[in-house]
Amino acid sequence: MMTVTFGLIAISCFFLWYRKAEWGWAAVMIALIIGIIIFMGDVDFSTNLGVQL
Amino acid sequence: MKDDILTPASARVLNFLGLLAMIGVLLGAYVYQFYFRELPCTLCQLQRVGMVAVAFGAAMNVMLGPHPRHYGVCLVSAVFGMAISIRQALLHINPFFDTKTAQPTLATAANPPFGQPVLGLHLYIWGVVLFATVILAVGIVQLFRGQFKPSPPEPEWLRRLASIAVAALVVVAALETLTTFLECGFGACPNDGGWNWWILR
Repeated sequence: MMTVTFGLIAISCFFLWYRKAEWGWAAVMIALIIGIIIFMGDVDFSTNLGVQL
Repeated sequence: MKDDILTPASARVLNFLGLLAMIGVLLGAYVYQFYFRELPCTLCQLQRVGMVAVAFGAAMNVMLGPHPRHYGVCLVSAVFGMAISIRQALLHINPFFDTKTAQPTLATAANPPFGQPVLGLHLYIWGVVLFATVILAVGIVQLFRGQFKPSPPEPEWLRRLASIAVAALVVVAALETLTTFLECGFGACPNDGGWNWWILR
């Protein structure tokens, strides 16, 4: 999942540089959404978010 | 306030400097990673995602000219990165709280900080500082409307510098993809902070 996230951004960067492609911002937003999904999977909700609240 | 204080060309130069700073931070993280032989954890990787995405927003401004959408990419990415950094900082803020059992403990180093400090602060604290700085800087730069006016084609030297800087970002983003694949494959990344490459398991 993390590899896909970086890959999406890398492809966006490449086409921004090679073709001045503007659509990369949408791919980066998708990458961030995948990042949020990874983040939610990393949080242990059973232990009070793992933080002393 | 005069609108022409920040011209499109000077806004591009500012974004160029921001882009170089982000590339420098990402390369610095690599030096740290290989010098201390500590692979980044999931939260560390997500902070790098935020940094590359901030750099992408700056690169859009550099290549295509200043636009609110490009600054929006920077802001959304910085808020994403800061949320992750704050989360990791909170995880390690109390050394006497065992996050595995969610109970306070008197055992020493029950919840040690992750990784080696740099200039007295751990990398996730630097992450909070960095992303907060990006949010503040983008907010201040956006106060000047003159940069969004139609402008003549940029000078040749600026166009070449922009192309070289964005090419550097392409290399760094490709490097991040490659090392993340070698560390995590297509699954979850290890969180032990050791030299635990997926490709070597």
